[in-house]
Amino acid sequence: MKFKKIKIFGLVSLLVTAILMLAVFGFSCVSGLAAVGWSGGVVANNTLYVGSMEGRLVSVNLNDQSILRAEPLKVQSQGGLFGCSSALSCGGGTSRVPIYGTPVVSDNVVYVAGYNGKIFAYNALNFAEKWEYPSVGAGYLQPFVGGMVIDNNKLYIGCANSYVYCLDANTGGLLGSYQTGDKVWGTPVVVDGSLYIGSFDKTLYALNADDMTLKWKYTTEGSIIAPPLVKDGIVYAGSFDKNLYALDAATGTLKWKFEANNWFWSQPVIVNNMLYAGNLDGNIYCLNPATGATIKIFGKDDLAVISPFVSQPAAVDNYIIFASQVGIVYRIDSTTQEIEPLATLTGTITGPLTVYNGIIYFQTQDAAIQRVDYKFIDEGKDPLLSSISLVSG
Amino acid sequence: MNIWELIIQQPLTNVLIVISHAFAGNFGAAIILLTIVVNLVLLPLTLNQIKSSKKMMELQPKLAELQKKYAKDRQKLSQETMALYKTSGVKPAGCMLTMIIQMPVWFALYQSIMLSLAAVPEGLLNLSRYLYPWPIVFASIPINPYFLGMDLSSPNAILGVLVGVFMWVQQKMSTMPTADPQQSSQNSMMLWMMPLLFTFMSLTFPAGLALYWVVNSLFRIALQYRITGWGTLFKKAAKPTEPEKKYLEFKQPEEKRTTIVDKDGQVIITDKDSLKKSQKKGFFDRFKLGGGDNNPPDQNK
Repeated sequence: MKFKKIKIFGLVSLLVTAILMLAVFGFSCVSGLAAVGWSGGVVANNTLYVGSMEGRLVSVNLNDQSILRAEPLKVQSQGGLFGCSSALSCGGGTSRVPIYGTPVVSDNVVYVAGYNGKIFAYNALNFAEKWEYPSVGAGYLQPFVGGMVIDNNKLYIGCANSYVYCLDANTGGLLGSYQTGDKVWGTPVVVDGSLYIGSFDKTLYALNADDMTLKWKYTTEGSIIAPPLVKDGIVYAGSFDKNLYALDAATGTLKWKFEANNWFWSQPVIVNNMLYAGNLDGNIYCLNPATGATIKIFGKDDLAVISPFVSQPAAVDNYIIFASQVGIVYRIDSTTQEIEPLATLTGTITGPLTVYNGIIYFQTQDAAIQRVDYKFIDEGKDPLLSSISLVSG
Repeated sequence: MNIWELIIQQPLTNVLIVISHAFAGNFGAAIILLTIVVNLVLLPLTLNQIKSSKKMMELQPKLAELQKKYAKDRQKLSQETMALYKTSGVKPAGCMLTMIIQMPVWFALYQSIMLSLAAVPEGLLNLSRYLYPWPIVFASIPINPYFLGMDLSSPNAILGVLVGVFMWVQQKMSTMPTADPQQSSQNSMMLWMMPLLFTFMSLTFPAGLALYWVVNSLFRIALQYRITGWGTLFKKAAKPTEPEKKYLEFKQPEEKRTTIVDKDGQVIITDKDSLKKSQKKGFFDRFKLGGGDNNPPDQNK
């Protein structure tokens, strides 16, 4: 009888294991189910600040690539089953706060926003907390996915609860807000007193940065996540309707639009009066910023592998540095329109690129900061420098 | 993109998005409709599976007898078991095969649901790889995850509990009473383990998946009801035999023959009731096994 019971238990255990394995197999086929984060880095005083994939704000000394400090973002009181709420990622038995937006440094204060719906301000040297918004005990907002911008001692950020917030950068006090029609995952841009930001409601908003009132808005056919680029009175914004729009910065009237094959996820750049925009279709489009006319398309004939361009590109000297999601870093010479691969990495790249003293910094999905010297290739050296691991312990 | 993604996951994901667009962006309605459609497509296989399972369960008393009779001769037991399967028209592998065929379809369906929901930023980014270049698809993204006040992209306790309840009902309906204590305890363990396991998964994953499981269970309950009635849902399970008690052998009365086959192979109906029934036969009745109550005879005291 005892043997039979053991046999039954064994059979049921086997079945449960089989179901769990099948479930794990099934879910593993769907990537992108867990929030991980893709924060970029910002450099101030020769120190790189980045939100790590482990949910920590990390400062790195760029002289010797050593980790100076690492502060985990505060985890909210646990909501969901086993303490896993939608705003947290649970892995390895611990909860962490995914960080998507790149931190911002201003006046020796580093600001970072978490997917848990909280904005933190720390002393840039010792990471002592200055303030947090919403303040302690005031709960949490919806996830922050986009980055923030500081202008005139005011912090601007969009939230998944559809609001764009304006906070006092010194105190974290709320100065104003503007509600859009849906989630805001984009990073705002402030130019000449105007704030530009896209929303899931398919609209690009131009707000008066002073009082957060609407200046104008322009509705497209798709959601807008990519941060807009403002240059010479024109706002360039990519949309999920596959179009890149050029709008008059003062009035919001359409100047031109250019259609690609997939979403525009990242901000375009303008170098030498040429606009470069990466697209999730795996092409880089070089356009005339005044007319939208195609100058060149960097596609399958020019690129080693066709892979989406998710990361924010970086401009340095006459070059534009792009990183494809599959891990290839390219350099485009804007004077000759030549493209060449600088480095091929094993980890995927989704976070923005940062340039400092001729070196490109970005975080890969294996939680490491990669360093690429864009000039080394001209000297016959390997542009890929040693990486900096952000993994704790 | 691999072959699986190209021929299964991508089309299903785009269909789901288009249906959602047709329902004015109501993703919950799209999940319900697609789950029903997929269930209808797989109906012949599902019915076959239920039929096979039922036959297998009906054979349990006879199998138990064989096990008792040939307890010391494994080879003979195996031969007799196979012979019993053959004479009863049961294909044990057929039941499993049907389940195996269905499994990829269910995986594809729930993968598409998870993909379309794009609950986290990485999910939305991943979704872009699967979209057809149709304006209707691009205009529908991101999907509105709200359905009847529930956020389908986050775990939902109500749907989680419903998954467990409906799965339990479905399990209970499909479990046949058995006098074999081993089979009985196996059944009762399965009756609770499966719903608990799926409830746990529903409380962990986005509610869109739970909605799919709820609709799926409801469909299966309706199907099971149509074929076997409420089964053992409202009946007490047969008591297992106790070794210290004495039992009288109960011989099942010979079934009244309602048809005969003549020498030309023609089936002749011999009583009026059967004739009436045969004239009213519908699609589902083809899968019915015998009368309304098909429970195997208990071993009466």
